[in-house]
Parts: sequence; structure tokens; C-alpha cells
Amino acid sequence: MDWDVVVESFPLIWKGASKTVSLFAWSLAAGTVLGLAVALMKLSSAKPLSWFATLFSWLFRGVPLLILLFYAFFALPEVGWLLSPFWAAVLGLSLWTAAYQAEAIRSGIIAVDHGQTEGSDALGMTRSHTMRRIIIPQSIRIMVPPFTSNATTLLKQTSLATLVTVPEMTLLTQRIFSNNFKFIEPIFVLAMIYLAMTTVLIIGQQIVERAFRLKT
Amino acid sequence: MELDWGVVARAWDLLIDGTWVTLQLFAWSLLLGTVLGLVLALMRLSKYRVLRWVSLGYVWLFRGIPVLVALFFAFFVFGRQVGLSALQAGVLGLGTSAAAYKAEIIRAGIMSVDPGQFEAAECLAMTRRRYMRRIIIPQGIRVMVPTYMSNTILVLKVSSVAVAIGIVELTGITRQLSNSTNRPIELFTAAALIYLFLTTVLIVLQEFLERRFALKT
Amino acid sequence: MSSDALVTVSGLHKSFGDVEVLRGIDFEVRRGEVVAIIGPSGSGKTTMLRCVNLLERPSAGRIEVDGQVLCEQQADGSMSFSGKAEIRAIREHVGMVFQKFNLFPHFTAVENVIEAPMAVRGMSRQDANARAFELLESVGLAHKADSYPLQLSGGQQQRVAIARALAMDPGLMLFDEVTSSVDPELAGEILLVMKRLAQDGMTMLVVTHEMGFAAEVADRVLFIDHGVIVEEGPAKEVLGDPKRQRTRSFLRAVLERAPMVEDGMDDDGQ
Repeated sequence: MDWDVVVESFPLIWKGASKTVSLFAWSLAAGTVLGLAVALMKLSSAKPLSWFATLFSWLFRGVPLLILLFYAFFALPEVGWLLSPFWAAVLGLSLWTAAYQAEAIRSGIIAVDHGQTEGSDALGMTRSHTMRRIIIPQSIRIMVPPFTSNATTLLKQTSLATLVTVPEMTLLTQRIFSNNFKFIEPIFVLAMIYLAMTTVLIIGQQIVERAFRLKT
Repeated sequence: MELDWGVVARAWDLLIDGTWVTLQLFAWSLLLGTVLGLVLALMRLSKYRVLRWVSLGYVWLFRGIPVLVALFFAFFVFGRQVGLSALQAGVLGLGTSAAAYKAEIIRAGIMSVDPGQFEAAECLAMTRRRYMRRIIIPQGIRVMVPTYMSNTILVLKVSSVAVAIGIVELTGITRQLSNSTNRPIELFTAAALIYLFLTTVLIVLQEFLERRFALKT
Repeated sequence: MSSDALVTVSGLHKSFGDVEVLRGIDFEVRRGEVVAIIGPSGSGKTTMLRCVNLLERPSAGRIEVDGQVLCEQQADGSMSFSGKAEIRAIREHVGMVFQKFNLFPHFTAVENVIEAPMAVRGMSRQDANARAFELLESVGLAHKADSYPLQLSGGQQQRVAIARALAMDPGLMLFDEVTSSVDPELAGEILLVMKRLAQDGMTMLVVTHEMGFAAEVADRVLFIDHGVIVEEGPAKEVLGDPKRQRTRSFLRAVLERAPMVEDGMDDDGQ
């Protein structure tokens, strides 16, 4: 391994880091909001809503992420919805992560003791008040591990955006080695950057877990 | 916007060819991932610190990088040195990534077995090799089945990433067909349905295995 | 050390981290004796039992079982232990029954009993099965041979566990609070099996809360508290007229609820 090439490659690949993080942040935000909606739909007593939620989960967890990305990139323009590669990727990533986050969120809500709801009912609190002040804080604590685990996976999966021509880190790495045919150095740099990012997320997860443990 | 589903019928043979490559990638990388994962799990539980640390390091590395990067390593770096075909490099990249997850699943399964089982076997003078094989691992398997199978379903879907190193599996062939016929909606929908079918088969298998391994009460 | 001592323990100390659980234990078990070990929870009685077959490794002391030294302290103060093969050889002749039964849940009752004789003694399946049926018969469970542990009551599971330990033809049996995890009305069937075993001459070391059993079946009783043997002697004496105040107050607290050993039971022990 030629360390000079490693040092040269780093800034070139790092330029893509902001795109990577951007993809991650947008998809995480949209995916979480959507996931929350799906989770609530799944828990709702209205049959059509819970059926839709089940369908959503089955569909977006049963199909590979890459198919979703290709759908957003190749198929949507056919129906007149022309998205830039970046937004097509965000769309695909958001739908995909929403399906998994919906499960994480739902497990957090149902895991909280049913007795809490009954206790609050007995005290005459309204359902939404109960949700907000009693159930949600406890649910969040249970949700944190699967949620951040999904988020870490999402970060890594942004690498697939390279296949729909988004200039994030992986694409820039491919450009380097298809130009100068030096493979190991840029791929090594790419791996190290991802490793650093995912490790930061893991540490962040432990901090959040500890914070929520003390709070309640 | 007119949909021509006939294009799927005409392309069906090619889609099946692609599916067949997907299944090969899936089967071989699952095998590699499971065997390597078992080795890593046992290393992690070993009394030798070096083995534990190597296992820990492996899992941290392969869970910290995207599968795509592992595939790049397997194909562009390792494969070129050793002379691997794209398919072989694909299996290597997918399998070594999967092994990191399988290792954790297997380890959790073994650790979930009640320590009392170990003690009873030891007090009956059984050797470690014997009781791991007869008593501990079978019970660990029972606990592992749900997470092992849901990870296995993931391995199937992740095989689609192999398109990035030029392997023409289902996703790859669909992309080619879509570009040449300009019918992305029909073709990608067909590919999606094929994947859904395959994952549903695995889900059914999972439920069967969960019932089969359940303790009789 | 008496010549017919099967177990000799001297100077036994055991610490878990900073906590010293056993603070100098000395005792002997002679061949054919039934020794009951009683004491409050946290007294160290289970730890002491588990040291005898090296499930716990003593921090200090010497343990000898059937002529084999399991562990002893060296001149420089460090502890030396028997090797794995030697420990296994000893455990072939020392049976143990656990509070939580620890039956293998994926094996039937008879499969639980034949596993060790086949694996360790190389017995043929036929011979092992024959012997297993005999043993299950002797604990009143021949009709449940093909049942799985989760299909059995606690009392039945524990009796299978006893049969499993007996399958190795041990010279010494260790019992670790074997009735504590069982509904009180089912404890009797287990104690009856143990009583018969004692009558047949088995050497037994029994950690128990069942004072009635100890009074009726044990030859000697050891009362342990805070990691030391407070009082020991013939069962009738220690339980009937203890010399130490601590023994008295312990017995007073416990004896209010001591069940007596059942004398008659049908085949199923119900």
C-alpha cells in the first residue's frame, strides 16, 4: 500500500462526505417522521389504517433498497416525476428506513406497561395527554437502541446512492480508482472514513442511552 | 402513460437467469457467513484473549463499513491479487460482511443458554466438546432461529448490491433490460415482485423452523 | 483424617471479589454418611457444597475426595488445582442435583438419563436404556420416560435429575437445596427418594432447609453462618438440643414451618 496515494486520496474522498451526511440526515428525518406515522397507523384501531401500515412494512422491507433507489431514479420520471439523483436517493432511502423505524417505534410504544395507560385513565387523563407525558418518554428509552442501530445502517446504505450517480464518498472513490487504477489506497480511505462515522454513531448511541436512563 | 406488461413476459427468461444468479450469490454467501460467523462466535467466547480481540475487531470492522465497500475490497483488491471471478469476489464480499452479523447472532444464542446447563453437563463428567455439541449448541440454535432467519432474509436482499461489481444478478439484469426497453416501471415492478416472493418463502421457512425447534410443553 | 473419609475439607476459604463468603471451613464426610448442611441464606452453604466438586474454585484450602486431592495450597501461598481430566475423573463418581434441576430440556426424561453413561462410559444405547428405565422406575417415573421436562411437574423433574445423577453410579451425591424450587406439596416425593437412597447406603452431602428431613435421615448436621461452621454434631443433638445460641435462634425461625417427609406415595409420587 502506497501511503502517499492514501494521503492524496483522502481530501478527494472527503469532499463527498458532506453529500453522504446530507443524504443521511434528510433520509433519517423524513424516514423517522414517516416511520412514526406508520407506527401510529399500525397501532390504530381503524382497520384500513393498520392494514395499510402492514402493507407498507411488508413492501418496503421485502424489497431490496437498491430496487427502491432504481425505481425512484428510473421509473418515476416515466410518470412525470423527475427528481435529481440526490432527491431520488433521499426518497428511496426515506421509504426504506421508514419501514424499519416504524417497527422500532412501535415496539417502544407497545413495550411500555399497559398498566400505565390504565392508571392514567383512572386518574381521568385524556388519551393524548397520557401519550404525551407518560408513555412517550418511557417509549423513547426503549426505542433508542433499535432506532440508532437502524440509523447506523442507513448511514452505510447511503453508499448505494453511488449507483444512481449521486456524488457521495463512494462515487468519488470509484472515480479515483477508475482513473489511476490504484485500488487499495482509496478503498482503504473510504473504509476508514465510514468506520469513523459509524463509530461516532455508536458512541452517540451509548451517550443517549445513558442520558435517558438517568432521566427516568 | 401506457404500461406494457408484455415486456415482462418477453424478458421473463432473462429475469429468471438473473434470479438464478441472485440465488447462487445468496446461498454461497450465506454458507460462508454462517461458517465464518460460527468460528468468530466461538473465538469471541474463547478463554484466549487474542482470539477474543481478533473476533471483536473483525465484527467492528465489517459492521462499520458498508457492504459495498467490502465488495470493492473483495473484487478490486483481493480478487485481482488472487484472480477471482466477479461472482467469487461477490460471494467473498457478501459472505465476510454477513459473517460479522451471524457471529453476533450465534454468540447471543450460545450465551442465552442457562449456565445451569453447562454445570449439569460438567458435573456429569462430559467433555466440553461433547456437551457443546449435544447440549449447548442445540439449545442455542433454538434461541437463534428468529434473528438468524431475519438476517438471512437481509442477506438475500443485500445480494442486489453485487450489481456494483458487474455481477448480472436480478437487479443487474433488470437495470439492463429497463435501459434497453425503456420500460422501467414494468420491469422493476416485476423484479420487486420476484424479491417479495423469495423473501416471503424465507419468512414461511422461518416460521416453520421456529415451530420445529420449539420446546415441547 | 479418618481412613474411611470420602471427603476431607480443610481450611476452606472462598472470596468473590472483595466479599469473603467462606472463612475457614473444616469438615469430613465418611463413607455411607448422610451429612445435612443448614444455615441462613448467604451463609455460604451452597458455595461450600459447590467447592467439593470444584464448581467453585476455593481461594484457599485443601479438598480431597476419594483419595484424590482436588486442590491445595502451595508453600508460597498460591493454590494449585487438579487438571481438567482429573476433575472429570472425580466428577464421574460424584453426582450432583441442583436447585433448578438443570435437566436438558430438548431431551426426554430417559434421554437425559442415558446421555452421560453413553458419552462418558461408552455404554451402548441398549444397556444405557435398560439402566435408565431401572433408575426411573426406582424414582417412580418409569411411565414418564418419554416425556419432556416441560411436560413434568417440578417434583417429577427433580426426581429425573436424581436418576440422571445416579446413572453414573456415583459414590457420593451432592444435593443443593433440591426442594427449594418446588411447590411444597411436591417436595415430599423428592425427599422420599433421597431417604431411600440414604437407606441404601449412599454417601450424601445435603444442603437443605428441610429440618424434618435432616432430623430423620441425616447422621450429622453442620450449621453454617457467615462463612464458618458454627456448630456440628449428630443430627439429633444439633437439631434437638443445640449448644450455640445462634443455632437455637436459627432453628426457632425455621422450624415453625418444617414439613415432614411423606411416608406413603403411589407410583407417581402424587
